[in-house]
Amino acid sequence: MDVGIDLEGSFIQSVTDLGVPAGAAKAIWMPLPMILMLIGATVGVLVTTWLERKISAAAQQRIGPEYMGPFGLLVPVADGLKLVFKEDVVPAKADPLLFTLGPILVVIPVFLSYLIVPFGQNLAIANVGTGVFLWIALSSVQPIGLLMSGYASNNKYSLLGGLRAAAQSISYEIPLALAVLAIAMMSNSLSTIDIVEQQSEYGLLGWNVWRQPIGFIIFWIAALAECERLPFDLPEAEEELVAGYQTEYAGMKFGLFYLGSYVNLVLSALLVAVLYLGGWSLPIPISMVAGWLGVSETSPWLEIIDASLGITMTILKAYFLVFLAILLRWTVPRVRIDQLLDLGWKFLLPVALVNLLLTAALKLAFPIAFGG
Amino acid sequence: MNLATGVQVVSFGILAVMMIGAALGVVLLSNIVYSAFLLGGVFVSIAGMYLLLNADFVAAAQVLIYVGAVNVLILFAIMLVNKRQDFIPLPRAWVRQVLTAVVSLGLFILLSTMVLATPWSFSTGPAAGDNSIVLIGQHFFSDFLLPFELASILLLIAMVGAIILARREFLPEQTLATELEQPVLTLPERPRQLVSVASDRNSSLDKVERQK
Amino acid sequence: MLKFLKQVGDYAKEAVQAGQYIGQGLAVTFDHMRRRPITVQYPYEKLIPSERFRGRIHFEFDKCIACEVCVRVCPINLPVVDWTFDRASKKKKLNHYSIDFGVCIFCGNCVEYCPTNCLSMTEEYDLCTYDRHQLNYDNVALGRLPYKVVDDPMVTPLRELVYLPKGVMDPHGVPASSRRAGTIPAELDEQEAASN
Repeated sequence: MDVGIDLEGSFIQSVTDLGVPAGAAKAIWMPLPMILMLIGATVGVLVTTWLERKISAAAQQRIGPEYMGPFGLLVPVADGLKLVFKEDVVPAKADPLLFTLGPILVVIPVFLSYLIVPFGQNLAIANVGTGVFLWIALSSVQPIGLLMSGYASNNKYSLLGGLRAAAQSISYEIPLALAVLAIAMMSNSLSTIDIVEQQSEYGLLGWNVWRQPIGFIIFWIAALAECERLPFDLPEAEEELVAGYQTEYAGMKFGLFYLGSYVNLVLSALLVAVLYLGGWSLPIPISMVAGWLGVSETSPWLEIIDASLGITMTILKAYFLVFLAILLRWTVPRVRIDQLLDLGWKFLLPVALVNLLLTAALKLAFPIAFGG
Repeated sequence: MNLATGVQVVSFGILAVMMIGAALGVVLLSNIVYSAFLLGGVFVSIAGMYLLLNADFVAAAQVLIYVGAVNVLILFAIMLVNKRQDFIPLPRAWVRQVLTAVVSLGLFILLSTMVLATPWSFSTGPAAGDNSIVLIGQHFFSDFLLPFELASILLLIAMVGAIILARREFLPEQTLATELEQPVLTLPERPRQLVSVASDRNSSLDKVERQK
Repeated sequence: MLKFLKQVGDYAKEAVQAGQYIGQGLAVTFDHMRRRPITVQYPYEKLIPSERFRGRIHFEFDKCIACEVCVRVCPINLPVVDWTFDRASKKKKLNHYSIDFGVCIFCGNCVEYCPTNCLSMTEEYDLCTYDRHQLNYDNVALGRLPYKVVDDPMVTPLRELVYLPKGVMDPHGVPASSRRAGTIPAELDEQEAASN
């Protein structure tokens, strides 16, 4: 476990060398990765919205944003600025307190979930033992915020959208959790770092996709449904519900919903990358490369390269999945609400249960391949 | 008192105030939707307490089950039957309120004396920490096996009941025969002679058949 | 038991089939990503309208004999012909003529039937105003010739797909002298003459 760079340790060491007590040094350290992650998540959202525009345009043989900055890169910035400076309208008969609280409750759990996303051996904010379970628990708070904003808007469409969102995320949470459970069973841990560790031994071949193909598909479908991405964007289906629970929102409150949905997409993609695509590990394990080159695995420059490559790999894998989600958005038509619930309860749930049982059986039969 | 314990004490205070305030709000507010949302606040504060007690798995489970499932279902139920009614003050409502207060206070006193009277055995061992999941699992499959299985059987029964309620074919057939007999609709301005027309057609059909 | 297994098998088969269909759809979407965008960056680039383009109607005041055929053939009797009978020359004298392009459907019937060819179609299509009443063109406005897309120094004229050389799909950077695909009408005439 001690392989890799210990940024926290060296930072605290250097600050205590300046004559600051150890507790205070830790207190100074603690907010740094959180702020970094907050900024990283927001920048990730900006990149994702830009990608969404560009890839959508390419899929429809258009050009997409072009004149705002090079390749229209400044479009998300302009979007954000517009949302910040827009008038914050609260409808006259809405419930102002709940109306404000709703979007906040939607956004906070998503950002909190970034706690558990690892970018490297020691590059996670918190290596909590509950790991993925914490993410599932936090994402289950979101429907309360959606229900709250749907109710507080005092609008039929909003209320229906909120109810739909809550129903959707409750029903897709279960297959999601079952898919994660199969992974946890194989890696004997809920911690995201242990899950990646367990996959990273054999490079590309060791990734969990090969051992959990069904779980991978179930997880991805359920994650798309949790993010309300297009095949499952019923809560905000424009043709039926105007914009669902977002109907009455404007300005930064709408911006929070927008931010929340894209942060959630990136987060889901990151988690798929971590759980199924080997997280930060390269397709060819770095120790093998080091062995070929005849370099010691613990030499400092190799560790730095390893860490930066790890971050790049995680982000690359996540953005590959984001790309897939955008492609799916323009391929698959929206499902009806009964089809959505049928898919969740009558297809994904039994298949996830069978997958879990199958994993358990395989784990007992082949403890070497399935993590004994 | 070092930094860590200070943070702990302060967060305990905040969580306690939040929990009691939210709980009072659940009971005292007249708007039922507010009460339901505040219930979520109570559950979250309890989860925070668990976190302070180093029980992170229990905290996450608390959030997942109580906030994510129970509270959302309560909200669902409220919002699906949300019928805005004006609050009608009952005559002599204070009697009920006083009675409720007395009962609640009695319960509170009873429970607090029990809490104070019980000789709690504080565990002196180190906190389980990240290992807690493993320990919980071991307990579930050894000394707590029976309650664990009983709980799962209870859930299974609830699920079967829900399925039976959802699939109407298992419910006894309700006889709708009397309702299905609809009255014969006629136009008010020109009452049609249904019987004669029918008999005419019959007779003409009969003729055709006879000709065959 | 066997029936149940068969049901499960059929269900699995259907699920796999659905997955295959989604995969096919994804392949189509993915294939579109490598195709060239068909975007025309409108105010800076414009498509050259074809010869038979039915744009804004041009009207020559002096040719008009105020016969009102255009009004009769118009589906909605749109052209307004204001004339007086001149007793001295015993002819109709046209005072005003106007067409409201906010209502016109550009069917071209008036152009088709005009006995003196005083009406004609132009290639102007971007009739944009701040007030819909400004679309009601009088005889002066109708008599103006449109600015050609090819002559506009601010605009990059782009040829439509049919007018591009053979095998070329991208209108950008095609030299003006390059010949369109297929035979042009003059050549067709020549061929016909040669065969006769």
